[in-house]
Amino acid sequence: MKRIPIDKAVPGQVLAEKLTRHDGVLLAGQGSAITEGLLRMLARMNIDSVVIEEEESRSVEEVLEDFRRFTQDLDARFVRIEPQSVLQALKKTMLYLAEKDRDETLALINNPVSASEGSAEPPQGAAESVNA
Amino acid sequence: MPSQPAIQDRVQAKREVRRIKNLPTVPGIVAKISRMVENPETSAAEVGRLISQDQVLSAKVLRMANSAFFGMSRKISSISQALVILGFEVVKGLVLTSSVFDMIQKSMAGLWEHSIGCAAASGAVATLLGRDDAEEILVAGLLHDLGKVVLALNLPEEMNLVREKVKNGKVLFYEAENEVLDFDHSELGQWLAEHWNLPESLAEPMRLHHRPEKAVLKPECTAIVHIADIIIRAKGFGNAGDLLVPPVSMAAWEMLGLRKTDFLPILDILEPKLSSLCDITSID
Repeated sequence: MKRIPIDKAVPGQVLAEKLTRHDGVLLAGQGSAITEGLLRMLARMNIDSVVIEEEESRSVEEVLEDFRRFTQDLDARFVRIEPQSVLQALKKTMLYLAEKDRDETLALINNPVSASEGSAEPPQGAAESVNA
Repeated sequence: MPSQPAIQDRVQAKREVRRIKNLPTVPGIVAKISRMVENPETSAAEVGRLISQDQVLSAKVLRMANSAFFGMSRKISSISQALVILGFEVVKGLVLTSSVFDMIQKSMAGLWEHSIGCAAASGAVATLLGRDDAEEILVAGLLHDLGKVVLALNLPEEMNLVREKVKNGKVLFYEAENEVLDFDHSELGQWLAEHWNLPESLAEPMRLHHRPEKAVLKPECTAIVHIADIIIRAKGFGNAGDLLVPPVSMAAWEMLGLRKTDFLPILDILEPKLSSLCDITSID
């Protein structure tokens, strides 16, 4: 999440924190999308910033490149311990989490709306596709 | 005996250690607190008042107490409240950390991040194991590499040689320290801990986080910091001087009763903490 000034906010961005008036009255809940109407209202109330969910700004190629670099660095960090099975398990776990993160990010890029709606739970079968 | 260093080498090494004349003095406030608690009649409120006199220090301590480290549901708003909720040893550890924070940051790029990462990982392992002293173990993780700070500040030339040796990506920092100096940061940590009269829960992990099987007074705490150091290096968070994952002590691993499947829940606890800890990194 990040805080942005109101003039940088655009309709469609998702609020990462609830938005309240200066006296505490709720204006928009956490997770709701910014609308033209909300922006006009905020301008009238002199609210100068909002906290929004960060969007994925990387392209598919960049995400894959970041993942490739991560695995390269991971290999370099573990270069000394090949025979230790505990550390191999740790490395595998790190790789599993990075793959999961990569796949969730790619899903978000390909289908931003449904991915943000189902943010709490990864889609069924994600674990299988990670291991493939 | 090929592995036994010649006596002359050991003597030379001792001389090197003696060159470290300005071993940092224990931060005044920490010494004062230690003296206060030796008196059984001292109350938490009195200790709280002493710490609160230094507003900058109090602010730093409260910021750490309210950070993702401890995941408190209610805000801790005073030092005396922190003393009640987190306990005396933890607050003392946070005071110590706040006092040496500038020193850690100046000594080596990335070491502060490695320290808070290791602290969060120590807390995560301790939490998974259901330890009720998780906060104290976390503070031990925070200070485990203090010996490196002393080395970097006192023997800069030797440290450059160590850095050169580490550059090839195959040698661990403490191995390079031993090659260059014939001692390493864990021995200096021990010296510092004695000099500063630190409790064993901090001193033993400082001394033995690379050889946790040798711990006798706080073996579990030392073993947890050892595993946490490995986990945070595996993540590549911060920089402890080299970028390698050191070997795991199987004795420590087995003593804790950890399983390979425990890494996933540990990393699940750790991940959200690490992203929000970037805030404390910018303490000034």
